[in-house]
Amino acid sequence: MTTSEHSTDLDTRYGSDTRTVTLRVNGRGVTREVATRTTLADFLRDDLDLVSVHLGCEHGVCGCCTVLLDGGSVRSCLMLAVQAGGQEVETVESLSPDQDRLHPIQQAFAEEQGLQCGFCTPAMALRAREILADGKEWTDEEVRQEISGILCRCTGYQNIINAVQNAGRKLRGGPGAARDETKGS
Amino acid sequence: MKPPKFMYCDPDTVEDAVALKARYGHDSVVLAGGQSLMPLLNMRLANPDVVIDINRVTDLQRITRDGEVLQIGAGVRQSVLETEPLVADLVPLLGQVAPYIGHVENRHRGTVGGSLAHADSAAELPCAAVTLDATMVVQGPAGTRTIAAGDFFQGLMTSALDPDELVIAVRLPVTTRTAGTAFVEVARREGDFALAAAAAVVELAADGRFASLSVGVAGIAATPVRATAVEQALTGQPATAATIAAAAKEIAGQVTSADDMHATSAYRKHLAVTVVKRALGAAVATAQERSDGS
Amino acid sequence: MAAPDIEKPRYKYIGADRKRVEDPRLLVGRGGFIADLKMQGLLHAAILRSPAPHARIVSIDTSEALQIPGVVAVLTGEDVKAHMNPCMNFGPPTIAQYPIAVDKVRYVGEAVAAVVAESRYTAEDGVEALVAEFEDLPVVTDPRKALEPESALLHDDHGSNLGYERTFEFGDISRALSDADLVVEDTLHWGRSAGMPMETSGATARPGLNGVLEIHCNSLNFSYLQFLVANALKIPSNKLTMQPVPAGGSFGSKFTAHKVPTLAGFLALRTGRPVSYVEDRLDHLMNSDHHGSDRYYEAKMGVTADGMITGLDIDVVDDYGAYLQFGVGTHGNAFSQAVGPYTFRDLKYRLRAALTNKCQQGAYRGFGSEVHNWVLERMVDKAAAELGLEPEEIRRRNFIQQDQFPYKIPGGNIYDSGNYPAVLDKALGMIDLEYWRTEQQRLREQEGRYIGIGLATTQERSVFSSTEFWFWFDEPAFPITSSPESATITIDPTGQFQLQLHCQSMWGNSPETVSTTVVAEEFGVEPESVNVSYADTAHALPGTGPGGSRYTVMVAGAVRGAGRKLKKKLIDIAAHTLEVAAEDLELVDARVQVKGAPEKSLGLPELAASAYFFALNLPPSMESGLEESYTYDHPYTTLPSPDRTDLGVFYPIVGHACHIAVLEVDPDTGQTAFHDYVAVHDAGTVVNPKSLDGHVTGGAAQGLGSTLYEELAYDADGQFTSSTFMDYLVPTANEVPPFRIGHVETPSPYTEYGIKGGGEGGRLVTPSVVSAAIDDALREYGMRVRELPVKPADIVEAVQGAMARS
Repeated sequence: MTTSEHSTDLDTRYGSDTRTVTLRVNGRGVTREVATRTTLADFLRDDLDLVSVHLGCEHGVCGCCTVLLDGGSVRSCLMLAVQAGGQEVETVESLSPDQDRLHPIQQAFAEEQGLQCGFCTPAMALRAREILADGKEWTDEEVRQEISGILCRCTGYQNIINAVQNAGRKLRGGPGAARDETKGS
Repeated sequence: MKPPKFMYCDPDTVEDAVALKARYGHDSVVLAGGQSLMPLLNMRLANPDVVIDINRVTDLQRITRDGEVLQIGAGVRQSVLETEPLVADLVPLLGQVAPYIGHVENRHRGTVGGSLAHADSAAELPCAAVTLDATMVVQGPAGTRTIAAGDFFQGLMTSALDPDELVIAVRLPVTTRTAGTAFVEVARREGDFALAAAAAVVELAADGRFASLSVGVAGIAATPVRATAVEQALTGQPATAATIAAAAKEIAGQVTSADDMHATSAYRKHLAVTVVKRALGAAVATAQERSDGS
Repeated sequence: MAAPDIEKPRYKYIGADRKRVEDPRLLVGRGGFIADLKMQGLLHAAILRSPAPHARIVSIDTSEALQIPGVVAVLTGEDVKAHMNPCMNFGPPTIAQYPIAVDKVRYVGEAVAAVVAESRYTAEDGVEALVAEFEDLPVVTDPRKALEPESALLHDDHGSNLGYERTFEFGDISRALSDADLVVEDTLHWGRSAGMPMETSGATARPGLNGVLEIHCNSLNFSYLQFLVANALKIPSNKLTMQPVPAGGSFGSKFTAHKVPTLAGFLALRTGRPVSYVEDRLDHLMNSDHHGSDRYYEAKMGVTADGMITGLDIDVVDDYGAYLQFGVGTHGNAFSQAVGPYTFRDLKYRLRAALTNKCQQGAYRGFGSEVHNWVLERMVDKAAAELGLEPEEIRRRNFIQQDQFPYKIPGGNIYDSGNYPAVLDKALGMIDLEYWRTEQQRLREQEGRYIGIGLATTQERSVFSSTEFWFWFDEPAFPITSSPESATITIDPTGQFQLQLHCQSMWGNSPETVSTTVVAEEFGVEPESVNVSYADTAHALPGTGPGGSRYTVMVAGAVRGAGRKLKKKLIDIAAHTLEVAAEDLELVDARVQVKGAPEKSLGLPELAASAYFFALNLPPSMESGLEESYTYDHPYTTLPSPDRTDLGVFYPIVGHACHIAVLEVDPDTGQTAFHDYVAVHDAGTVVNPKSLDGHVTGGAAQGLGSTLYEELAYDADGQFTSSTFMDYLVPTANEVPPFRIGHVETPSPYTEYGIKGGGEGGRLVTPSVVSAAIDDALREYGMRVRELPVKPADIVEAVQGAMARS
């Protein structure tokens, strides 16, 4: 294929290596010029400095780059940044970016030691937010199934499951409960 | 692992998408859910000149009932199959199959049409399509045509889709209320592609014999296959564990996959028989429950 | 060295479940990982990797790549040859390795060229544009055939594919086996897996001020070995500063992982600009710094009729891959606990290290002792089965008893303390084996289901001494005996604590929690109030770094040592100020007070103010400031004997564990599912129970991976077949069962607070217990797990084969 075969209108519409993309990230509107081949993961890390989005495999298996796209967890290494235009992306900073004021889900991970090296942790915390969103109570076995799309090499998963259950109790209320005040936008 | 350079097109109508596909043909790839294509791009195992992203084509994202047919747009996300009442009601097998497709993070993006067009013989949706006698609706410059699932999957990652065509929907006959359906998959880990999987739809006669049955098997050959010998052996036979076990052995002859690091051919033969047997057993059990309940 | 009496005092901070001080930053996604480091003008590297297992590099055409806008440089083996020394190497010098292959490639994935560009995207464009021509050479894949004289050679200079051979005999194995009533024999293969952390290895190198090269990297152990990197780069060691960066998991894979930082350093030196090289997952799978063990065993064990083990005869060929960078240290680990928890005295161990066209080997959680333990426990189970003994019974009969510690094993290492029957009893008390054995029978007879019960033990050696790096050789080049760890405690002028650690020790363990807990224990301040930092190599005191489950023990020793010195200074200042004798003062809850009169006291801020700002209030000749450092070396190590009949004491802090698993096997699919899993560990004094549980669980999950799922496989042609995470199967939450964990605490007499290492035990025993459970489930089919990973196909084919024969 040579360039001369392109029709002019297609060149005009699609020929550029870059695009302007407008989306919402952690509740804020963002507009950036981005190379069309840039993955959403790299856009979040490099253009927006959201380095909590970790690249573990870049082929969609490890899940460490999981973000919430309009509330649903997706692999951000398997999306182009331009594809997120018009949508809402949440990274772990949407829970809390402040080490001194952790969100109840983050608090639960700390209490249960649901992390060791911290590399899968943002993904796990976001997945926890998604599955806890409707206030349903889960069994340990169900939580195990629900987090199985994200690999953790440190914990053997049990403390993560304990953390999700702990976070669920916190978010549902009851003794010592806290509200997920950052939820929704 | 970063994607190569390509021209990125994101049409918002089927017609524009088809026009682009017609223009760039083999030099282009269609980006649907991206769960298979993006890894190939990141690893640079695919290096297309043009990527045609169909995620903005909202026309492809509808699920509609058309008489005795459920039509699912190619752009419908796989996770919708798990939650959409119309699917559970009309083609329950799809709801049973869907949780086995990768993990939920994949199903939130992965599309029905993307999986079918990718034509991986170990994937769940192609297996379901073959089992359910689905029809692919494809559109090219000359308009739309339909291809029966049995004709659509032609070889290893190869379908009957022409380079200038696009899968736009899949049409599935509505499953009768009395039918029993089941899906059984064995993979190294849950969420992995099947080492072998079987989908079954059975209708039982009043005397408990098989009135009709349909069995599809994934992971054992270059394409998903219908277990025709098994179906023939059982039609009209009593739906007992013994007849099922005897007939299930027929599938072994259709296993053609060579040894790989996860499974030997001998193992796959045994596994194919096992999943067919178990899927049929489970489908018969649900058929019996449904007829008891009605 | 006689063992002092063991006492277990109560501590205020040590031994309590505490939140980790590392976690808040990790929970907001600010772990400071290597890929997060950004710098002005940073370039990125991508690597062309060999598609051939063994080939001569004929040519590399870089012209097209260099024309791509944004590509800055392409470096090949020719550049390396011209400007570098071989990489650090603890093997024979005739097996040299460079970070980019020189002249020929020796495995699929070996680096052939590096492209440096303005972005990783562009660097990969450059890699695609390279045209490399290879001339294929005969491929060596089978390690036993590699040792045959007609085999093609990997390293012409070395003259054979035998990297190392030696037979060690401790006691008299011929007599032990001839005296036995039964000798069981087996052929076993432990397949390759690897630590496979979710974060790969990476480094960012920058030519800094004064001609000093800075390398930031997530590898461990470079306070210890920095000069070896400098040597490879041909720069003086004082012109290289290595900056520790937290690692997103290691499990051995970043232990002395030198090729990534060395390569980044080289690229920065050649381009004169900062360069980042972070492996992607494909890089890491086929060319991580090292894969784990890959061993072929012929094993014999003698037992008496009443189940007493008489001896063990091991003949092992280890498939080391193309290079021998860490020598055969993974077998030294095996020697540290070669007899397990058992009393037998006769052991023969023949080792041959084979060179093949595969990625080189190195550390993976257990460092080779997990492999030996699997072989030992496989043989014990075989003996028990043939004698008709239950697995717990044969083990109980052979256990070293409590009154035998410290216990010197054949080979010379010492076990410091232990209570193996107590661990076994605790495990048996957590699970009703009688119920499961009845249930096993019932399910088999009534439902046609197959469950198996496995029980296995392990020793968990911890705190290596550096003598294990060289006792292999009669004339070692550098027979070192130090393996220190250091800490610096500073109380600042306002009384706040700074704690500096002198190595990169954060890879998912809890170095900051442990060390601040010790500060808390010594000074009575809250652990969270202590700020922790890591010294770069330009400032670091001696530090070996984590590995071999040593860090908790060693850092506790270092921090306590520094704490003692600092406490003395505080008390001296207080004594001078209060005009009280120092011996009448004590430090309680962050105040120095008069014994028996606590109302007469001084707080840390007051003492700190004196130390920094009021020199005239200090005792005469006291230095200003409040900072003390301490270097704690190995608590108990001895030299090997010259003839190596005794290897000395090199791994004497020894824990123990017993796991029991109830596993169902589906003989028609080969799939497995756990009904229960109990794990009891004795890691001495527990510092943080929840952390230790996490390490046991994580280690056990990795052991499960090596047993059932994970395989770094090469086909007969030397092609690498586990090249993605679709094929290298890290267990997900679905594959890992809930482990029920128990602890026994037998403090070490040799360490501060009686702590033992606990980082590896989970992985050391899971392979043995799962193998045993599979055998037990399918005993009627003669199932015997001889090769790991055991795959569904292996199980089904064993069952089908047995049915066909009957």
